[in-house]
Amino acid sequence: MRESRERNSRLASRSVQAVFLIVLVVLWYLATTRWGVSSILLPNPVLVVQQLWDILKSGEFLGDLRVTLTELGIAFAISATTGVTIGYLISRSHYRIRVFEPLFAGIYSVPIILFLPLYVLFFGLGPASKIALGATISFFPITLNTIAGFGYVDRILVVAARSMGASDVQLFRYVLLPAALPIILTGMRMGFTVALLSIIGSETIASLAGLGHRIVHLAEGMEMPRMFAYIAFVVVIALILNTIVSALEARGKRHV
Amino acid sequence: MTAAEITLRSWVRRAWVARIGVVILLFILWEVAARWWVDPMFLSPPSRVLMSLQAVFDTRGVPAALRITFWELGVAFAMSVVIGLVVGLAVGLQPFAQKSFMPIILLLYGTPQVTILPLFILYFGIGPASKIAFGVSHGIFPIILTIVAGVQNIKPILLTSARSMGASRWQVLRHVIFPHMIPSFFAGMRLGMTGVLLGVLLAELYVSTAGIGYFTTLFTQNFDPTRLFGLIAVLAAMAIVLNEIVRRAEAHFSRWHTD
Amino acid sequence: MTGETAIRIKNVSHHFGEESDARHVLALRDTSLDIARGELLCLIGPSGCGKSTLLNVIGGLLAPTTGTVEVFGKKVAGPMPRDIAFVFQENALFPWNTVFENVNLGMVFQGVPRAEREARARRSLEAVGLKDFAQHYPGQLSGGMRQRAALARALSLETGILLMDEPFGALDEQTRMILGEDLSVLLSRTDKTIVFVTHSLGEATFLADRVAVFSARPGTIKQIIPVDEPHPRNPDFVTSEKFTAIRNQLYGLLHDEIRKTMAETGVPAGAEHAP
Repeated sequence: MRESRERNSRLASRSVQAVFLIVLVVLWYLATTRWGVSSILLPNPVLVVQQLWDILKSGEFLGDLRVTLTELGIAFAISATTGVTIGYLISRSHYRIRVFEPLFAGIYSVPIILFLPLYVLFFGLGPASKIALGATISFFPITLNTIAGFGYVDRILVVAARSMGASDVQLFRYVLLPAALPIILTGMRMGFTVALLSIIGSETIASLAGLGHRIVHLAEGMEMPRMFAYIAFVVVIALILNTIVSALEARGKRHV
Repeated sequence: MTAAEITLRSWVRRAWVARIGVVILLFILWEVAARWWVDPMFLSPPSRVLMSLQAVFDTRGVPAALRITFWELGVAFAMSVVIGLVVGLAVGLQPFAQKSFMPIILLLYGTPQVTILPLFILYFGIGPASKIAFGVSHGIFPIILTIVAGVQNIKPILLTSARSMGASRWQVLRHVIFPHMIPSFFAGMRLGMTGVLLGVLLAELYVSTAGIGYFTTLFTQNFDPTRLFGLIAVLAAMAIVLNEIVRRAEAHFSRWHTD
Repeated sequence: MTGETAIRIKNVSHHFGEESDARHVLALRDTSLDIARGELLCLIGPSGCGKSTLLNVIGGLLAPTTGTVEVFGKKVAGPMPRDIAFVFQENALFPWNTVFENVNLGMVFQGVPRAEREARARRSLEAVGLKDFAQHYPGQLSGGMRQRAALARALSLETGILLMDEPFGALDEQTRMILGEDLSVLLSRTDKTIVFVTHSLGEATFLADRVAVFSARPGTIKQIIPVDEPHPRNPDFVTSEKFTAIRNQLYGLLHDEIRKTMAETGVPAGAEHAP
């Protein structure tokens, strides 16, 4: 109805965004070169880019990246398998749902990162504590969503399948699983995101290796340009990972 | 079945009883594991933790640290609410502003803020300011997003109806948009509180000279799981209470909300 | 009916969208009509024929592409809350306010002084039979009661004109029947001018002094059928021969238009709504 006008306004808002970002970068450059903002606070963007290039070229990031991704992978594997299994078992009876679901929801409402010192005490500063914490935190959204997915499948579908003679296995495979899958996938995406955040977070706070640790190390050494470069790097990695996971989630949902 | 048996059954049937039972079971498991299976250097049984709670509070500086942390949380939350409300309304009420700035806001919200925690400390120092700043940085986004959503998803017919009755722009804002937005606002505050808790506690754990982060590091390095557990339990309780307060406020103000 | 013209519609037409747009549509085509004071005029026609559009134009919610509307001699250039009140099909009560607060708020918008508001609210709630539900929230009421509340709100504004856009459309047949009868009784006691959009032939015949039948899109008034029966209308009227004759006449006029609409859009009448 107002299509051309809509197109114009979309163009206008995109330009505002583009201008905003450009102005930001320009201000950043000017601040560090002309306006005398201390390079301790804000490094010259040109230097940052140089450092980034150096990091990428030299492959220095590989070691830390491998540590972080390994921790993430193991943590998520643990939380996904246990979460879905336990979630399914709980969802089998309404009573069990009523007992456990508020329990899990309640625990999850506390910032579990708080327990990091305990994990460090128990597992040490190595990857084990990060994995354990990551697995613990991401367990909850996965389990809660699995419970929601399986537990609230429309009764009429189950009744219809049973009336046509479906066995337990058939019921699971052709009714419960497809019905629950979208919600479970969402839970897994949430779990992944939260695992990534908590692992980087715990690397920042108490670690000997990994991307989070690298940034802290550079901060302590006041190596600002390199630190900024790593921050940008981590942000991009996180973006890529989250995009992949979201795409997988969408794909998984489409096939249902 | 006798009357007593029926009563017993009905009690066990109640989910909340079973829930308490599960929790008690976990505590027993913890107690057993800590006493007989695990090196006391790493794990402390709940009984000892409970009894040493007083010792935690007696540790010099702990009560002050708790107070400081609580204060940091309060200030961060208050600031998040104010900033979130202002930005949320500014962006939500103006369609052009919304289209331009929402993607930027969402982009910021999606970045792992924990990567710039060291930056916050560099900029704001190791005192409470950085904790508050980091908390605010986590708390404003859910508030902004829910307010924008609350303003945006008002049924157009309500606005048309008000207009047809001669409402001025200010009247529409005050009598239609604002009351409609309140449940979303409170939902946002609930999420905002979660964010503030995360932000402030993360910053505290990272570096702290007088806050609770100092003591968690201390207890960890001294391999004192008893007091560490005690302190963390107190903080967890604080978090639960704060969350519950905001949740109740939300429920109270959203009574008319059906969706 | 005093014979004085309350609403004068002159050559109104309206299209949505720019000429170049793919979604350009001529909703209303060169419509003219005079509505007398105290008259209840029904607009009836197939979906998308522009009757709701015309109502919005009369009420000042929509500026027509061509033509003018005059209300009590004044040209309509925007909402006229002192003269025109709306009742919409979609529930437009504010869900966070009680029924009483909703009625009150309408008067706040219109600018009624505080001293008068409570009395007016009580009067109109009593008139629609919701006296005992004043402190309820819309969420606690049935659909029929919500529309009564919406009507009460419109009545409390004490406007000369009431525009009703399929107000009973979302309700079941039985509720419609009762509300229709109550509306007839209510209106016999005032001299409000009412323009009432409906899909229902029976409803139009029962309520209207005149029925304006619309053609398919682009809509214009095909024919105006008078219903010569005094208000308040007796429920027996529905079973009378006069009623059946008029209703049949409406059916005949409408049937082809409805078929035309369906053929054009391939969509059953009622699935599309004019904005």
